[in-house]
Amino acid sequence: MTPARLHTVARVLVVAGVAGAVAGLVHDPARTWAGILIASFGTLAAGLGGLFFVALNRVCGATWDLAFRGVPATFAAAIPVGAAGLALVFVFAPWLYPWMAEAGHLTGFKAVWLSQGFFYVRAAVYVALWLVFAAVLVGRTRQIAIDPSSDDARATRAPATAFLIVFALTFWLASVDWIMSLEPHWYSTIFGVYHFAGAFASTLALLVLALMWLRRQGLASHTITDAHFHDLGTLLFAFSTFWMYIWFSQYMLMWYSNIPEEATYYVRRREGAWLTLFYLNVGLNWVVPFLVLLFRRAKRGRVLAAVAAIVVAGRALDLYTMIWPAIVAGGPRVGLCELGPLAAAAGLFLLALLGWGPRRHAATVEAAASRAAT
Amino acid sequence: MNTAETRYVGVFEREDDLVGATRAARAAGLRIVDAYTPYAVHGLDAAMGLRPSRLALVCLVAGATGAVLKLWFELWTAVVDWPLDVGGKPHNSLPAFVPITFEVMVLFAGLATVSALFLVAGLRPGRRPALVADQVTDDRFALVVEPADATASLASVRALFDAHHAVDVRARVEPAEEAS
Repeated sequence: MTPARLHTVARVLVVAGVAGAVAGLVHDPARTWAGILIASFGTLAAGLGGLFFVALNRVCGATWDLAFRGVPATFAAAIPVGAAGLALVFVFAPWLYPWMAEAGHLTGFKAVWLSQGFFYVRAAVYVALWLVFAAVLVGRTRQIAIDPSSDDARATRAPATAFLIVFALTFWLASVDWIMSLEPHWYSTIFGVYHFAGAFASTLALLVLALMWLRRQGLASHTITDAHFHDLGTLLFAFSTFWMYIWFSQYMLMWYSNIPEEATYYVRRREGAWLTLFYLNVGLNWVVPFLVLLFRRAKRGRVLAAVAAIVVAGRALDLYTMIWPAIVAGGPRVGLCELGPLAAAAGLFLLALLGWGPRRHAATVEAAASRAAT
Repeated sequence: MNTAETRYVGVFEREDDLVGATRAARAAGLRIVDAYTPYAVHGLDAAMGLRPSRLALVCLVAGATGAVLKLWFELWTAVVDWPLDVGGKPHNSLPAFVPITFEVMVLFAGLATVSALFLVAGLRPGRRPALVADQVTDDRFALVVEPADATASLASVRALFDAHHAVDVRARVEPAEEAS
């Protein structure tokens, strides 16, 4: 698919997705707001994962990502997109959160933490911090690409290190604020790590897909080699397994202790048809990537792109099984309410990566290609 | 006339020269005995024509063996031989067995892989290693080749290595017990 055609596809996805979401809001507001929350949080987390990838490699002084380091930096453009979607949810549908709908059920520290004003202030602080670090780190990445000699420890490593610390704390708290508090009486102390694992695995999968696409376009086809895909495939294998490790840690401890305020979460997500999705989630996010990526050849070719697409689908399912049953009663349903926001988010993510206008995007891709070629 | 034990050693200062010389030697019909480098050199395995390592298979088989044995042991102790009622849990509490099964799988796989490597590489206790050339543990790269037939002379090997900026080329007669 040529860049121009992909750009058209992205715009169609946005228009159709927004239309679907609006129809969904009329038809079933709760389901649609759940869909918007899922799509927005997934987009935001994938964008943050790109920034995490950049920061991690700068802290390590890595050179293996030289041929493509601009691509994960571009993912940061998805952060404001996801944040805007979340802002819609927080402003127009705060009733998704039971503690906002009817205050007074919580006591002590929880009542202070989960109060409406504090919630909004925290959300603003998280997003502001992420946007500032995105501007600094993307700027540094660009600067290094233009003038490699400017890559000194103080200017690059210091903000990258600071971001890793800030990201660990804010992303953990954001996942607790925005998703765990949908069920304010339930708690999991590993929730933030679980979200980090899922977010970074989805970032790696999207990165693989983006680089495969760039190579098929003949852009940077000499600089992005099979060895790069091998390394990314190894990382995807590792973080998929890390996700499984954290998933199991959360599940087993709750299954084992079997106390009501913890176990209800899984009781809800294993009843009826949800049980199929419960196992499918593990299959898409771990069983398939683990078994396929064991093989060296699978990490170097088109099979990797297929696995990456499966992991992206698995991430969407993971967020769906996490968020949707907390808001809507009954068995799993998928329709315009869920697919509309998802399509719009996918289109906006593509537009954020390609550049918002067709002309500007063409210049960006060409500049990136010529930079990679030198 | 060379005896079968005669090998030739080329010493290089740069990894690119080593990889180039390895390729050239293989193209010239010399058998690559081994290459000695202070660190892992990218692309050297392909230049030497090495087959993919079989260590992964050892790791897989040992890991699977460990996992199956441990799972069987846990089921046998907790369900068959001495069932205990722990907080009303079923005797076969499979999720609770997973962490130990995982640990034993990793233990088996790790020990077997390292043991297999030491066994195949001959790294046994009491072995006295001989450096093929000084500085291969520091900043030099050495390539050891063996002629497939008796036609190759020191002069022809030297010419081949010198084309890749060898800093030292010499013949080396292997002690009988080391020839393998």
